[in-house]
Parts: sequence; structure tokens; C-alpha cells
Amino acid sequence: MPSSLKHLLFMVVPLVVIFAVLPGVYQNHLLLFNFVIFLILAQGVNIIYGFTGYLPFGYVGFFGAGAYGFAIMVMQYQTPAVLAVIVAGLVGVALGLLLTPLLRLSGAYFAIANLAASLAVLHFVANPALESVTRGPYGVALSGTFDPNMAYAAAVVVMALTLVFVVFLKNSRFGLALQAVREDSVSASMAGVDVVRMRVIAWLASALVAGLAGGVYAWYVSVFYPDNVFSGDFSIFAIVFALFGGVATITGPIIGVIMLYGIYNLIGFTAPQYFQLIYGLLIMGLVLFLPAGLVSLATRRGWHVP
Amino acid sequence: MLIYALVAGVLFGLYFSLVGIGLNLVFGVMRIVNLAHGDFLMLGAFVAFGIVTLAGIDPLFAVPLAFVVFLLVGVLLYWVLVPRLQGSVNPEMLSIILFFGLSQVIEAITTIFSGTSERSIQSRLLGTVFSTIKVKLFGGKPGPAGPVHIFGQGFPAPWVIAAGTSLLAIALVYVYLYRTRMGTLTRAVMSRRDEALATGIDVDRISAAAFGIGLGLAAVAGVFAPFMFGSVTPAFGADATVTSFAIVVLGSLGNPLGTALGGVVYGVCYMMVQTYLSSWADLLPYVLLIFILLLRPSGLLGRRVRVA
Amino acid sequence: MSPDSKPILNVSKVVKRFGGFYALDGLSFHVVSGEILGLVGPNGSGKTTAINVISGLYAPDGGEIVMDGVSIGGMASHKLVHRGVNRTFQVPKPFMSLTVRQNIEVALAYGRAAVTPPTTEALLDEYRLAEVADRPAADLNNVQQKILDLVRALATRPRLLLLDELAAGLNPTELDWIAERIKALAQTGIAIIVVEHLMGFIEHITDRVIVMNAGKEIFEGKLAVAVQVPQVIEVFLGGEHAA
Repeated sequence: MPSSLKHLLFMVVPLVVIFAVLPGVYQNHLLLFNFVIFLILAQGVNIIYGFTGYLPFGYVGFFGAGAYGFAIMVMQYQTPAVLAVIVAGLVGVALGLLLTPLLRLSGAYFAIANLAASLAVLHFVANPALESVTRGPYGVALSGTFDPNMAYAAAVVVMALTLVFVVFLKNSRFGLALQAVREDSVSASMAGVDVVRMRVIAWLASALVAGLAGGVYAWYVSVFYPDNVFSGDFSIFAIVFALFGGVATITGPIIGVIMLYGIYNLIGFTAPQYFQLIYGLLIMGLVLFLPAGLVSLATRRGWHVP
Repeated sequence: MLIYALVAGVLFGLYFSLVGIGLNLVFGVMRIVNLAHGDFLMLGAFVAFGIVTLAGIDPLFAVPLAFVVFLLVGVLLYWVLVPRLQGSVNPEMLSIILFFGLSQVIEAITTIFSGTSERSIQSRLLGTVFSTIKVKLFGGKPGPAGPVHIFGQGFPAPWVIAAGTSLLAIALVYVYLYRTRMGTLTRAVMSRRDEALATGIDVDRISAAAFGIGLGLAAVAGVFAPFMFGSVTPAFGADATVTSFAIVVLGSLGNPLGTALGGVVYGVCYMMVQTYLSSWADLLPYVLLIFILLLRPSGLLGRRVRVA
Repeated sequence: MSPDSKPILNVSKVVKRFGGFYALDGLSFHVVSGEILGLVGPNGSGKTTAINVISGLYAPDGGEIVMDGVSIGGMASHKLVHRGVNRTFQVPKPFMSLTVRQNIEVALAYGRAAVTPPTTEALLDEYRLAEVADRPAADLNNVQQKILDLVRALATRPRLLLLDELAAGLNPTELDWIAERIKALAQTGIAIIVVEHLMGFIEHITDRVIVMNAGKEIFEGKLAVAVQVPQVIEVFLGGEHAA
């Protein structure tokens, strides 16, 4: 059996089934939904950071743009929710295209520019001058499409698609070439790889994923403000979850989300500042002692981690 | 109106230079992105709050105190965090995440001890030391310093004091970098870290000093933050970091003196947009940052200054 | 190889500037299929810049680079690879976290070799990397990384191969072995340009050398002849005598 099929059968299918069944037995649907959203976003970060080395510090920009893409379709054009989710993904891609020049920057410059870009989109959307289009800082309320069950199902579908794409990256020549570009772009071009095209494809795929996630998020919560959907926490959590598990693998980000977001929900709500303290210390410890993530505990011993 | 905006822009700009210069020094010397930079500004503001509430004296006295305290904190933090970070595969990238963690820790601890409410200091308290001296030397009535008049327009005294302090701090950074032995070594590490290491320069000692100075300068800038921005909360740090980046990149990343120019350009732009296009003023730092990075990644001054 | 056979690569009056510095200042030479051409000259004479311009790392600021009758100056590297150009690097830069096998597979998959390229296994065996095939490239020693860099280039089936100081750091046994490999490659019809400081090695493998100084060629012909030309001696020894 080829390894891609193995990965699909033993990782993607069980995960999708679990999240499809869980709402029937577990009451806190919002929590389950958030888990799915973070699984999507962590894999989206994995696509761009794990496979190409660009740290998307403003990843939430695509998520928020997707959420507003959904909202504007529903508010202004009364489109059905599913169509609006697709548009949300396209809005993510469009923003990604607009930001492709950022890929010329490397290292910290890219990360900072991406952060600035996400904040620029936030301030643009939240500008009172655009109230007639985005409702500005006053937030949107989308009562017409409110249907948490359908929105949850859509989120699981987006998660499944995202995972299938990561499995493809992990098992294909395309994914291998992306990693080659990450390791050394000059050598990669001398192996015949079109470096610019590869990076743009990964960047847009990652933007698409976040845009779709933003769309289903808007569908699910139906009432939100710019500060909610452009909250830097989305970027940071997605990056930390992915890193904690280990990027450039399929399992790493999944483990990261389940463990860290699990801990978050155990201690997070009662005392946010203590949670923030523990979280900050955890992040620092992670970088100093386990920079390649949990999976590196296994790979160091020579075990292969898919 | 135009003259007011220009002068206010320059005053704010000089202050913005002080806000960014520490970040740039740290990046220039260590290639580390101190994402907790803004949090040290925030802590500097808390030193000023402390001086005012506990000692009841002019917050200007917080300037030397904040600098010394955070110089020491910086040296200590350097040894705890940076050598280990530099040993990893991709220190520049991981530094972003590491210092993000640190900023979370600082913000959480500050919130635990002081709550999330906004704090401010009455602006007439800043600079009372000057009027006291004036009374002592020349006699007259003790009282708060009024607005300072430049080109026939009145500007709040704290703006002028902050701008003056910033100018002094930048001058001292210049003296340190170009007139002292440590400064010469610092510039050597900035231009080629690997070669500096190979020639036997104690790179860690130089870097620790630069890190300490960087945090000290951030804290000094923080002392004035309550006067320049009205109030400060523990969450103030994150925004201050992005603004600092805009200033630093504008001047030229890795060239601390370029920051002075970057700050002034930023300050003037800021005041112009504030005056004529106020609803879009929030967008300015981000858009400016992206454009400068894309069009002139080396900043306005580029490399020429560094080579010269 | 006959002297009148048509050159695969023709470099004429190529200029490359960095700021005000002319790294290449009107360089001209040619190379024909199956020939091993040496590029020699003192440090800073533009040898590596020449390789970088031909392999598309830098666009030339003037002059013309023609391969198979097509102007290739300024063409993107990956397109040049697809046209049959490849190179090694002075400091090899393999894909460190990928295994040796994966390193080769990337080049095999994306090189678009015109003729069927050799298999991964054949390359691993032929270049003595079979034992480390499943280790990450970061684990290899410097010489192994250089060889891997060469294998990465060969996996794309180049017709023009540029070797930038491949021999530096090799021990005498490895030198003999790699010299034989290079000669064998030339015999299959590949045109090879070798940049090297080891004159013995150059003497041993090249058919012809170009002596470079200050970004242009000052001599073309056999190395044995070159070392008797006063201008060449001056370039190689002049700086030291003057100092």
C-alpha cells in the first residue's frame, strides 16, 4: 500500500470520523468547532512555514478577510452560505495574490511585513469610512444564514480537504521540491525547480485554507467584530500549535492542537492572565528546548514520523 | 496648521526615534527580533507610575532609574535566552516566537500585579524639576510649566521634554558606537558576526551589553509614553512593537542611527495624516512598513551610511 | 574533439557590475561538447562570477551568452537547467534536512532531462553514496556534500557542466578518483568548465585553459604554454612581488 493511502486511511479518515461523530455525544459544540478551526489553521501554517520556511506572522489576515468575504456576500448579495464560504476562500487567495511581493522578503522581514499586512487589512475593514460595506468597527450580524450544525459540517469538510492536501505534500515530488526550496533556494533552482512558482502555490494554498476557515467561522458565530476575526491570537495559536507538534509532518500540527488547545480549555477561561503566563513560558520553553517540536523526540531516535 | 503639524511631527518623530532605536540595536547586533520590545516600553511607563505614586517626584527622575534597571535586566535576560537560541538551526525565525512568548509573560505578570485598567500621569508633573530650579535660581512663582512656544505655536511641554531627552539619548548612542572601544567592537559584530567571532572578539559580552542598552533605551522611551500617548495599559506593548518596527525599517534595519531619520520621517507623516486624513491614520504604520520593505528593503539610508 | 567543432557555449564581451566594481569586464570565451576547459586566475579575477552568470544566478549587465545558438543571458536558473546547464557550488549547499536519496530525487523529478537520466541507485553506487543514502545530507562530511552536489547536477543530465572548485579539500586518492570521473563525463560528450586553484589537477584534466584577470581573459590555450607567458606570470605573481 503506498504511504499516501496509508496516511489517508489511518490519520485523515479517523480524525474526520471522530469530529463528525463527536457532536452527537459531547455537548460543547463550540469547543469542538474551535478545535476543527485550529486544526485547519495549524495545517495551513504547516503548509507555508513547514514546507517553505516562511513564517506567516499575520496569518489571521486571510482568516479575517475570509470571514468578511463571507459576511459581505451574505449581507450585500444574500447568497447561500455554502457559496459565501467558497467566496471566502477566494478572498483569502486574492489577498494572498496581493501579498505575493512579500515573498521577496526573507526571514524576519517577511514575518514582520506579513504581520503589518494583517493589521493593515484589519484597520481597513474596521474603518468607519467603509461602514456601508463592512459595517466598520460596529461588527456584523448575519441572522439569515445562522445554522451552527451546517457550519460545523462545513468546517469538518474544510479540515478534511486541508489534511488531504498536506498528505499530498508529504508524499509527492511537489512537497519534496517545496522542502528543497526551503532548505536552499539556489540549489533548488539548480535542481530544475521553479522556485518562485512553488512558493506562490504554497502561499496561495495556505491563504485559501485560512480564507475557507474564516468563512465557516463567520457562518458559525454569525455575529462578530473586526477585532474578533483579526485577533492576533489566531496567528499565534496556529503557529505555536504547529511548531509544538512539529512542522513538515502530518501528525505534528494535529498533536499540537489536541494537546495545547486541550490544556488551554482546561485552564484558560477562569484566569486569563495566569493562562497567558503559563502559555508564554510554554512557548519560551518550546523554542529553547524543543525547537523542532514534539515529533523531534521520535525523529531523534531515528523513528520515522509521517 | 501646516507649521503646527510639521513641528509636532518633528517633536514626535524624535521621540519615535527613541522608541525604535533599542529594537534596531538588538537586531543589528544579534539578528534577533525582539518582539517583546514594546513590553519593555510598557514597563518603563510603569517605572514612571511608580516614581510618581511612591516618591511623588518629577517622573523625569524615572529616566535614569528605568535605564539602569533595564540595562541590568537586559544583560541577565541575554545570558538566559540568547546563547541557547543562537545555537539552534534558525535563530532569526525562532527569536520571533521566543520573544513573543516573553512578551506574553511580561504582559501577564503586569496584569496580575496591576490589573488591565488604563493609567496616565498628569502631564504638568513632568518637568517640574525645571521650574523648581528656575525658582531657586531666579526666584519667581513656582508653578507648572506652560506650553512651549515654537514658531509662534504652543506645544505641550512634555512633547518638548521627550524630544529633547530622545535627542540626548541618540547622541549618547552615537558616542557609544563611534567613540568608545566597546562601540567599535559592537560595530564589528554588527557588520560580520562570524568574522568578529573568528578574530577573538568576545561576541557574547558585546551582545549582552547591546541587549541591555537596547532594553534600557526602550524603558526610557516608555517613561514618556503616558505623556505622548495619553495612557498606557499592559496590552500597550504589542502595538508599540509594530510601530517600532515601522520606524526602524523606515530608517534602515541594522543601522541604529538611521532610526533617528526613520523616526522623524515617521513622526511627520503621522502628524500630517492625523491632521488632514485622520480616519486613515491607523493604517499608516502598517502600509508604510510594507511599502518600505518592498521598495527599499535596506531603508531610507540603506547601506551607504553603514559602510561610511 | 576537433578544434573546428561548433561550440556549445559562446560567451562574448560579458560584463557584470556590482555597484561600481566590474567583476566581469568584457569576458569572452567558448567551449565545445566533450571538452574540459579550465578557468584559472588569481582571487577576485571573476571566475566564480563567470560561473554564476552562465548558470543564471546573476543576469549579465552586458555582452552575450549563447548556448546552442540561443541567447541565454539572464535566463532563470531552472530554465537553464532544463536546457542542459548545471553546476556545482564552491561551498556545497545540499538540502540539509532531506536524505541523500531525496536530494537526488528532487533533481531527477524536476530536471526534465532530455535523455533518460540514470536511476537514483546507479548514481548512489557510482558516486559512493549508497551507504549514506537514507541519512540527512546534514550528516555528510564536506567531501560527501561536494559529491552529492555533483550528483544533484548530474541527475539533470547536463550537456554543459560548471564545476566550481570541486577538488578543493579532497585527499590525493579522492582527487585521482574525481579526475577520472570528470574525464569520463567529458567522454560522454558533456562540455565541462572547471574553476580550480590546484594547478596540478587543472594540468591533468583540462584540454585548454582560459586565464582570467580583472574580469576578462588574458590567455587562452594549454596550461603548459600559459605558465611561460610573461603577462600570465605577472598576474599570478605580480601582486606578491609588489608587496
